Amino acid sequence: MDATFSRLTMTAASAMLLLALVVLWRRHVAAYITAFRTQSIALAFVGVVVAWYGHVPELFVVGLLILALKGWIVPRLLSGIEARREGVRELQPLVNAETSLLICGALAVAAYEISRPLADVMNLATRGGLPIALALIFVSLFIVVSRREAVAQIVGFLMLENGIALLALLGAYGVPLVVELGVFLDVLLGVLVMQAVVYHIYDTSTE
Amino acid sequence: MLNLLAVVAQTALLALLAPAVVGYVRLAKARLQGRRGAGLLQPYRELRKTFGKGMVIAETASWIFHLAPFAIVGATIAAASLVPVVSVTQPADQLGDLFVLTALLMLGTFFLALGGLDPGTAFGGMGSSREMTVAALTEPTLAVAILALALTTGSTSLGVIAGSVLKMPAYAIGPGHALAFAAFLIAMIAETGRLPVDNPATHLELTMIHEAMILEYSGPYLAWIEWAAAVRLTLLLTLAANLFVPWGMAATLAPAAIVIGLVAIVIKLGVLGLLLAVLETRVAKLRLFRVPELLALSFTLALLAATSSFFTK
Repeated sequence: MDATFSRLTMTAASAMLLLALVVLWRRHVAAYITAFRTQSIALAFVGVVVAWYGHVPELFVVGLLILALKGWIVPRLLSGIEARREGVRELQPLVNAETSLLICGALAVAAYEISRPLADVMNLATRGGLPIALALIFVSLFIVVSRREAVAQIVGFLMLENGIALLALLGAYGVPLVVELGVFLDVLLGVLVMQAVVYHIYDTSTE
Repeated sequence: MLNLLAVVAQTALLALLAPAVVGYVRLAKARLQGRRGAGLLQPYRELRKTFGKGMVIAETASWIFHLAPFAIVGATIAAASLVPVVSVTQPADQLGDLFVLTALLMLGTFFLALGGLDPGTAFGGMGSSREMTVAALTEPTLAVAILALALTTGSTSLGVIAGSVLKMPAYAIGPGHALAFAAFLIAMIAETGRLPVDNPATHLELTMIHEAMILEYSGPYLAWIEWAAAVRLTLLLTLAANLFVPWGMAATLAPAAIVIGLVAIVIKLGVLGLLLAVLETRVAKLRLFRVPELLALSFTLALLAATSSFFTK
C-alpha cells in the first residue's frame, strides 16, 4: 500500500513536471494555459491521493479547491486576458526551445542532486516526489525569466506556485487549512492584479 | 535447439507481421479521414508487385548502392531477433542487449543514408543529410529511455527488463517509467519517419526524409527497403508494448502461455497502431527546423527518466 502511495504521487508529480517541460516547446499562449490547467488537475489528484493514503481528510477540501480555483477559474481569467490581445502571434522567448529544454534537463538533475540529503533523512512514503517538486520549481522559475510575454510569465509564476504547493503536499502532507485558504486567496488576488496590469500594458502598447 | 526455434519463430513472426501492421495503421488512418482504405493485406500485395518488377539503376551508382538494401534488411532482422515478442524468455539475449539493438538500428539507418547519397542525386543527398540530423538525436534518446528501465530492473537485457516489470508491477508506475515512455514514443515516431517528423504518405515533396533517400531505388531493392522499414516500425511498436506494458507475455514456453502471448501482442500492436493513426490524423507535419526542438524535448524526458530511476533506486 505504501508502495502504491509513493508510486501514485510520483507519477502525478512527474506528469506535472512533464507539463512544465512541454510548455517550453510550445509557442502559443493557449497551449500554456491548457498545460497549466492540466497541471493543476494533476496537483488536485496528488492532494486527493495524499488525503486518502495519508489520512488527512481536510486535504480532500484542498484538492477540490485546487480543482475549482486553479483548474477552472484562473485558466478562465487567463484565457480572458489572452482573448483581449489582438492577433495571434507566436511567442518569442529569450532562450530558444532546444537550449531551454537542455537547461531545464540540467536544472532537474541538479534538483535531484540537491534534494538527495533531504530524501535520505525523511521517512515519508512520498519522499521520492520531493526532487520532482523541486525540479518543477526550478523549471517554472526558468519559464518566468526566459519568456517575454506577460501572460506566459504569469503562467510560469502560477506553475511555480503549483510546484511549491506540491512540495508542501509531498514534504509535509499539506499545510493547515487556514494557511492553504490564505494562499488560494493570494493566488486569486495576484492573478486579478496581474490581469489589470496586463490590460494596462495592452492598452498602452496599442496606442 | 528449443531456444533456437524460439528465436527464429519470434523473429519470423515480427518480420511477417510487419506489412500487416503498416496496412493496419494506413487503414485506421483512412477510416479516421473518412476514406474506405485499402485493407490490411495491401502492403503484402505492394511488396509482391515490387519484387516482381525490373530495376532501373543510376549510372553513377557504385557497389554501395547494391549493398545497402541487404545491409538494411540484415541489420533490421538482426535487431528484430533481439526483441522479446511473445515470450519473456528471449534466448538471443545472450547475443546482445539494448545497446546492441540501438547499434543495429543505427547501422540500418547509416546504410540507408549511404544508399541515398551514393547515386549523387540532389534529393537523395538532402534526404540523407536530414535523416542523419534526426538520427543523431533519436538514437541516444532511445538508448537512454530504455536505460532508464534498465536502471530500475538492474539489467540491460530486453527480456529481463520485460520479465522484471511483469513480476513487479509496481515498477510500471513511477516517474522513470512514465517519462521514459513519453520519450520513447517521440523517438519512435521520429525513427520510423511518421508524422509530425516525416510524412510516410508523400513523394516528391521538399519536406520528406525517408522517401527522399529511397527515391533512386526501384524493383526488388525498393521492396527490401520498404519491408525493412515496416519491420522497423513493428519492432519499435513491439518494444514499446513489451517493455512498458509487458502483461500478457508468456513467462514460460508452455503452449497455453504462448497462445496468450500471441493474442496479447496482437491486441497491444492494435492499440498502439490505432494511437499512431489518431496522432497522425490530428497533428500536422512540423517545420523541419522545429524537429530538433521536439527531439530535444524527448531527450530531456529520457534524461530525466534515467536520472529519477538512478536516484530513487
